[in-house]
Parts: sequence; C-alpha cells; structure tokens
Amino acid sequence: MSIQFKSITQLREMLDNKSISSEELTKETLRLAEDLKELNCFVTMNENASIEKAKSIDSANDLNSILAGIPLAQKDLFCTEGLRTTCSSKILSNFIPPYTATAVEKLENAGSITIGKTNMDEFAMGSSNETSYFGNVHNPWKKGYVPGGSSGGSAAAVAAGIVPAATGTDTGGSIRQPAAHCGITGIKPTYGRVSRWGMIAFASSLDQAGPLARSAEDCAILLNEMSGHDSKDTTSLDLENIDLLKSINQSIKGLKIGIVKEFNLGDLDAEVQSCFENSKRLYESLGAEFVEVSLPNISASVPTYYSIAPAECSSNLSRFDGVRFGHRAENTGDLNDLYIKSRSEGFGDEVKRRILIGTYALSAGYYDAYYKKAQQVRRLIKNDFELAFKSIDLLMTPTSPGAAFAFGSKGAQNPVELYLEDLFTISSNLAGLPAISIPHGKVNALPVGLQLIGNFLKEDQILNAAHIFQQNSEFHLDKPSMEDF
Amino acid sequence: MDQETVRTICYLARLEIDKDKAQKIENDLETIIDLIGGLQAFNTDNIEPLYSPLEQTAFKHEDIENSDNQKEKFLKNSAVSNEDYFLVPRVVE
Repeated sequence: MSIQFKSITQLREMLDNKSISSEELTKETLRLAEDLKELNCFVTMNENASIEKAKSIDSANDLNSILAGIPLAQKDLFCTEGLRTTCSSKILSNFIPPYTATAVEKLENAGSITIGKTNMDEFAMGSSNETSYFGNVHNPWKKGYVPGGSSGGSAAAVAAGIVPAATGTDTGGSIRQPAAHCGITGIKPTYGRVSRWGMIAFASSLDQAGPLARSAEDCAILLNEMSGHDSKDTTSLDLENIDLLKSINQSIKGLKIGIVKEFNLGDLDAEVQSCFENSKRLYESLGAEFVEVSLPNISASVPTYYSIAPAECSSNLSRFDGVRFGHRAENTGDLNDLYIKSRSEGFGDEVKRRILIGTYALSAGYYDAYYKKAQQVRRLIKNDFELAFKSIDLLMTPTSPGAAFAFGSKGAQNPVELYLEDLFTISSNLAGLPAISIPHGKVNALPVGLQLIGNFLKEDQILNAAHIFQQNSEFHLDKPSMEDF
Repeated sequence: MDQETVRTICYLARLEIDKDKAQKIENDLETIIDLIGGLQAFNTDNIEPLYSPLEQTAFKHEDIENSDNQKEKFLKNSAVSNEDYFLVPRVVE
C-alpha cells in the first residue's frame, strides 16, 4: 500500500493496525525521497539513523504518542546533533552540530523519525528558495517553478507526499508563503510559543518555528509537541500548553473575521480575488461574520521589516568568522583577512546584501533614522493590530499576492520586487502574532493560499477556523500529478 | 549611496564584494535604502521603539554550572585547532 500523500492520522492508523511497521514506513519514505530527488528538496538524508530508530520504535512499542514511528523532515536551519546542518549555505556546508534544537528534540522525543534535512533559502533569506547554495527546489506542482521560501524544501517534501509533515521557520512569511505556493497548510505560532534554541538565528525578534503539513489537523499534532517553555531560550513563553487537537472542530458560528481595508485586494489578480471571495462565502455559509477593519500603518510593514531583519541578521551572522566552525578560507594573511575571506567566500549574494543593509542601518549616524525609526513604526503596527482585535476574532488575507512563479523571473533586477512577495505575511512577525496559511484554490493551475491571522496566543482559534474550512472543502486534498519528476 | 560608503560598510561587515558585482550591489543597496527611507513619512513622535513583540523582561535562572566540559566536541568543528584551542593567525608579535 502506498504511503505517499498519507496524513499523520492515516499513517498512525496503519501503524496501529500493523498494516505497516515503522521500519517499512521509514524505508518507503526514504525510497520516495530518492525517487523524487530531482525536486532537490533535501540537502542531507538521515538514512541509517532513521531506520535504526524506526526499528527501536517497532520493538519497544511503548510510546503513547501520535507521532511514534512517523517520518518527518526538518528544515536545515535546526541544529541536529551528529547530522549535518548547513542553513543551505557554503559557510556551514560541513557543520555537524554538537546538539539538537529543542523543537526538533521534542518531536523526536515523541517518537517521530527525522529522515532528512530540507533545502531552504540561504540562512532563510529569501521568498523563493533560489538563494540556496545547494540549488533551487522545484515546486511539485510545476517543474521550473519556485516552491516559495524560505522553507521551500520542507513545503515541497510535504506537497510531493514524501513526508506527512515537516518543520519550518518563519521570519517574514517563510512557513506560510511556501505552504501557499505548494498547496499545503503551514502555521507560524505566536512569538515565544516554540523555543528558538538550536535554530540558527536570522532575525531574533522575528524568527519562530512551526509545522507544515497537508492539513490544519496535522499541523496541530506537530505544534502540540513543538510548543512549550524552554529555559534555554530567554524569549520562550512560560505558559501551560493547551491541547490544540481538542480545540479544533468547534463551531465558528458568530466568529468575527476582519478584512483589512488598506490591503486594497481589488488591485490583485482577478483569479486571486475570486479565490478570496469564494472562501469568504464559504465562511459566511458556516456562520462567520465579516467586518472591515483598518490597520492605518500596515503599508509600513515591508520597509519596517527590511530595516529590522537585516539589522538583526548583520549582528547574528557576525558569528561566522571561519574560526570556531564553518568555512575557513585558505591562504589568508592576518586575522582580519581570515575573517573577510572566510565570510566573503562563504556567504551568497542575498545574504551579503542583507548583512550590508543591516550594517548600514546600525552604523553611527544612521541608527536613529533607520533602525530606531523602524522599531517605532513597528509599535504603531502592533498598536493597530491590538485595536483591531478588540472588535474581531481573526483577520483574513491572501497569503501571497499571486501563485508560484518561474525560476529567475522575480527579483533578479530589483530585489525589492521579491520582497513584496511578503506583503501580507510580514506584519504578523513584526507584531509577534500567530498566522496560518491554507490552500483555497488555484491560479493558472497553481495553488494559492488563504491566510488567517490570530490574536496573541490564539493558535487554537486560527487552527480551528482552518480545520472547519478544510472539513467543508477539498482544496487541501488536492495533489500534484508529479508527472514531470 | 556612494562607493566610499559601500567600501566602509563592507569593511565594517568584514565582507569583500567581487569587482564585477560591485555596481549591482551598489544599485541594490540604493534601492533598498530608498524602500526603508519611506518610513520617514510616518509620525513617530513620542513613540517608544518596540524591540521585541513580547515586551517582557527575559526570565532569569539560578547561575548553576550544569554542563560538562565539552571541549573536544566543540573543537571538532573548527577547521584549525590543537587539543586545547581554536587556532588563528598570530595577532601579537
């Protein structure tokens, strides 16, 4: 029986009724990954260790966890002890971490099996997965098209049916946008919900880990395990975890959904608008009410983000110096020369661009004009959300202005063109809010996503609204034909 | 953004730009600076910067030593080291 495209719940049932063992499931998953390697969604496979773990799960049979024996893929930004972790960068192309990220460790402790590490934009800087040192990832729906980014490898691996779910990280839309472009579901939790310990930092006040899967229900299963306080992360929230699986399947009658006036959805492609209107009608038929809300400073989201994120990136990436880990240039002169050559050889163009912008924004004479100013505008954006959430339960937007695009067709001449891909996703990172993307139709035969943004710590509400949508539609069940691969 | 500014920030960031890419990088930086320059249009008088969405003080824990010396584990990832140290070019003659 094929395991391709199966959900976690379906695989759990197969494992429980012994129609497959975890060892067979893991081997079959690895075979699928090999058969579909043209997608380029994996950077490193974990064959031997994953088969060994599967055997031990089969023989122990004592883990009372939905994830016991289920194969997952991890974004190659999470440190995994003994398993190469590259961030899809030349500078970390030989890095074997001495420890495992908390979010991955929690999933593994629940019995899941890490089958490999997924390709991504270098250091998560990109919206198309075209900045990876290890090459582009193909969108399973159309060869030669981007899967979105930065968690493009994770999204493609799930969309291609290789694994039922994968981890991702989201700094400005890096879970939600690839989920949308690949026709799957992905949630960025509230900032602080999931530990960032062991995640290679890009922008520390924006980064957050979360799951990508083929349904909101499967996302809830992963997020249940990934969440929770971690004393190793000083920004980790110390809260009692709620069971997200128990929170879904509640009626949404009377749910108040806000539509952001300033997003001018009328300017979008007619097919994107049509998907959005159809989803609105579906929610209305299920009892939800729509109200227009104003976020007066939302147009500042993209410039605010592209000031703050590069500033934090330039600071975080200063640790890559060729001395303690990572690529070290040869034939260097003094220590300064060692730093310059190692970093210049190790980083790709987009990463260099962002480090330079961040260095500029933080340098003497410009700090107040760019960095501090952006943090002040960030507060205005957060205040707008706080006011809006006094009268609504959640916000609804398209995830992305359009569907996936062909390799090289955006941002090559002007990087800002690609930055605008994040128009609808960035603001929830700036404000720290949870947001989910679910598939809700197609444009030119490629999937597009619907984004639901929740109030602080309201993952249960957006997962429930997403689950109810999926209980009453079939977009999330649609699969790519994969005939080109 | 002029060439001198680009050279200065490259040095501050300890990065070198290939000569054939210098003009493109300069243009890109100029475009991005123009984008973030748009923030000046927003009135932020008396607005406190928001450095983290959590706005809570980082929690503290007792300062108790809780890990073994893992020197070998950490030195293993260095391209050049001896049994005790990461090695770099001589800085003191």
